[in-house]
Amino acid sequence: MFLQLLLNGICASSLFAISALGFSLVYNTTNIFHFAFGAIYTATAYLFYLFYISLGLPQIISIILSLLISALLGVLIDLIVYQKIENKLNSPLAVLISSLGAYLFIINFIALLAGNEVKIIEKGITQTFQIGSLIITKYQLISLITFILIFLLFLIFKKSKLGQILLGFSFNPKLIEVLGYNPNFIRIFVFVTSSILTGIASIISGFDVGFDPYVGLSVVLISSVALIIGGVKIFEGAILGSFLIGVLQSIVIWKLSARWVDSFVFLLFIIFLLFKPNGILGKKLRVEEIK
Amino acid sequence: MNYIFHILIFLGIYSILIQSLNITMGYTGLISLCQAAFYGIGAYITALLLLKLELNFFIALPIAVITTVILSFIVSIPSLRLRGDYFILATLGFQIIIFNLMYNWISLTRGPYGIPGIPSPEIFGIKFDNPPKFFILSTAIALLTLYFFHLITSIKFGKILKAIREDEIAISTFGKNITKFKITAFSIGAGIASIAGALFATYVTYIDPTSFTLNESILLVSILTIGGGGNMKGPLVGTAVLILLPEILRFLAIPDSIAANVRMMLYALALIFILIYKPQGIAGEYEPK
Amino acid sequence: MNQNNLKILELKNLTKKFDGLIAVDNVSVDFYKNKITALIGPNGAGKTTIFNLITGLYTPTSGEIIFKNKRLNNLRPYQIAKLGIARLFQDVRVFQKLTALENILTVFPDEVGENFLDGIFKRKTTKLREKEQIEKAKEYLEFVGLSGYEDHLAGNLSYGQQKLLAIARLMASGADVFLLDEPISGIHPKLIKKISQLILNMKEMGKTIIFIEHNINVVIEVADWVYLLDEGKVVAFGLPDEILYDDITRKVYLGV
Repeated sequence: MFLQLLLNGICASSLFAISALGFSLVYNTTNIFHFAFGAIYTATAYLFYLFYISLGLPQIISIILSLLISALLGVLIDLIVYQKIENKLNSPLAVLISSLGAYLFIINFIALLAGNEVKIIEKGITQTFQIGSLIITKYQLISLITFILIFLLFLIFKKSKLGQILLGFSFNPKLIEVLGYNPNFIRIFVFVTSSILTGIASIISGFDVGFDPYVGLSVVLISSVALIIGGVKIFEGAILGSFLIGVLQSIVIWKLSARWVDSFVFLLFIIFLLFKPNGILGKKLRVEEIK
Repeated sequence: MNYIFHILIFLGIYSILIQSLNITMGYTGLISLCQAAFYGIGAYITALLLLKLELNFFIALPIAVITTVILSFIVSIPSLRLRGDYFILATLGFQIIIFNLMYNWISLTRGPYGIPGIPSPEIFGIKFDNPPKFFILSTAIALLTLYFFHLITSIKFGKILKAIREDEIAISTFGKNITKFKITAFSIGAGIASIAGALFATYVTYIDPTSFTLNESILLVSILTIGGGGNMKGPLVGTAVLILLPEILRFLAIPDSIAANVRMMLYALALIFILIYKPQGIAGEYEPK
Repeated sequence: MNQNNLKILELKNLTKKFDGLIAVDNVSVDFYKNKITALIGPNGAGKTTIFNLITGLYTPTSGEIIFKNKRLNNLRPYQIAKLGIARLFQDVRVFQKLTALENILTVFPDEVGENFLDGIFKRKTTKLREKEQIEKAKEYLEFVGLSGYEDHLAGNLSYGQQKLLAIARLMASGADVFLLDEPISGIHPKLIKKISQLILNMKEMGKTIIFIEHNINVVIEVADWVYLLDEGKVVAFGLPDEILYDDITRKVYLGV
């Protein structure tokens, strides 16, 4: 029983971790609390539905198109909204509020076009496999494998020169220019990657349980909490945080029900705030960085 | 005629709600994503006290306010001594949880089915059970709330809140305990929002969780930003925009089913526009830092 | 230095590291009551970091800060300020959207009016006290030469005027020790004389002053004692004349 719970938790965490990675990428490099990230997650699912179900395109094509448009959306939000505001006001809070606005706009646009009901991509019962005494569904397996692939890519990228600047502990925009990279392209790269990451998680989840216009909310909450409890500014922290949340979720679902998951995530967050605001892996952040 | 009273009642209720965010965000600079949650807590507690315990509205109201304030400490105490991002995230989490509770704690709140048949407020034999009468109640409470705001912001307390908003480090180096002030401001905002909730519940007589979602919280932040915060005028302008826009949409014969979405999209656009071109809002003084 | 003077603030082996960079390196300094001490040295020498450490914005990596025999190390900024230390920031930091008068009113240590309930239940007393405070605030504005600007938004004042306002705000805080971070920087030469004079006036009122400054003339004219810092360490100290014309100083500043 315990092992099954653990397995469930780990598979769920895999999807969270992919999104959390995307969210952290933006936060750690641009310091933007990319709330609209949730809207990109949602939009990707709907785009996929449009291509795969409504237009009947092949699965691979649909995935590629959805991720491409999603990436475009992410970059547009940055160019049209975030950067405009950053140039006008030197205020991270203003950017955050604008991100809320972007989220609101996109979600309502989607609801306008597609309605509020839950959409399903794959009907019927999901295929399951048996490994010893454990049961794993097709999508749990896909989540796990996808995460492992992405994590490997992450590790490889981290070794590269660009990776070290982007993913290092203290992101330094000046260093980017000094090393010959165009900061604008780097920024686009950040938003493209983050959108693709969360888009992947969204599509897998869409196959697994379907979606509605409001699924992005949980994703933003979980990604940001994972980032904080794992340790801000550290990517591995976001992944660790995601796994903590995933396992917690699995226990909550077993003991109570899926409906209480978000509440427990929040509770976990509050506990960390009270006792360990640096996060688990948080380098002992200087007091002045948190306060 | 009733229609006009209906509009004015909502003007009153929303002005209270936006003023509540004004104290937290406009004056103190704390962006709260859970005002709708406080609004909802006020509504649900009032509804339940009136229905289950058959209390008088005017007794239930202070109980609702105090309970909401106490609940607000769950957010404020752990997070306000830390960085701004943590606080906003805490309010986000709180908003999601409260909605979850409203939706899933079926034995208490009847979940998605909502609570119907909420009695109207009554006192000294007067029952505020039709729009013209309720208008008197809602306007009276709205004016009292406005007066309360004036009383607390016109003294040093108000100035310190603004100083915190402008430069919290600087004011703390002059001996003021900024965490204590922030928690106070946030609590006041929570309590006031719950008053709006109590009025809402007893006016529409049926409430369900969909009126108290994150969407609503974000909407409130947008409206305060558009109208402007940090003084008394801005929120009133914002409230007017909030109430009038749907009416204008109705005029343009946009079907009701999509009207809600169109409304939100327009507010979102207005919000982004204002942030870029007039960040202090139409009539406010607070600029996000 | 007359050893009978009271030590009011002591830094003992104070060190501050940031991710391996040592900003303040084992600094031990004593500040004496009612004296004006200058901290000089090139940019990055750690002077502002020391101010941040004293005021509690940073926590020391090691070492101690003792003020009036109390250990400041882990206190929050507002607690330290309450003990009697106030600060003039290098980038001024007056409250832009508050009027000049309000900038001063907010920092009075008297807590009447700080509880929101006072606005409702003790309104008369609060308003009365406020009237008194407004009169006092006007005096401070007059002291720095900003009479007539009471109702101007701080953000609308010129840089020099904002600096004067910041000084008035400092005085209103009632603190015993004033930390001035480059009070002269960025202002019109005419104002320099005025601010130098204000610093001397503050001393006459019994205040202890520690200031960071690059302007040699002002340091000579105003300081009782000078510390020269470089790369986080105290490199030399003594009377202004001794230090400022010393070879060490030249070397440190110009790298010659």
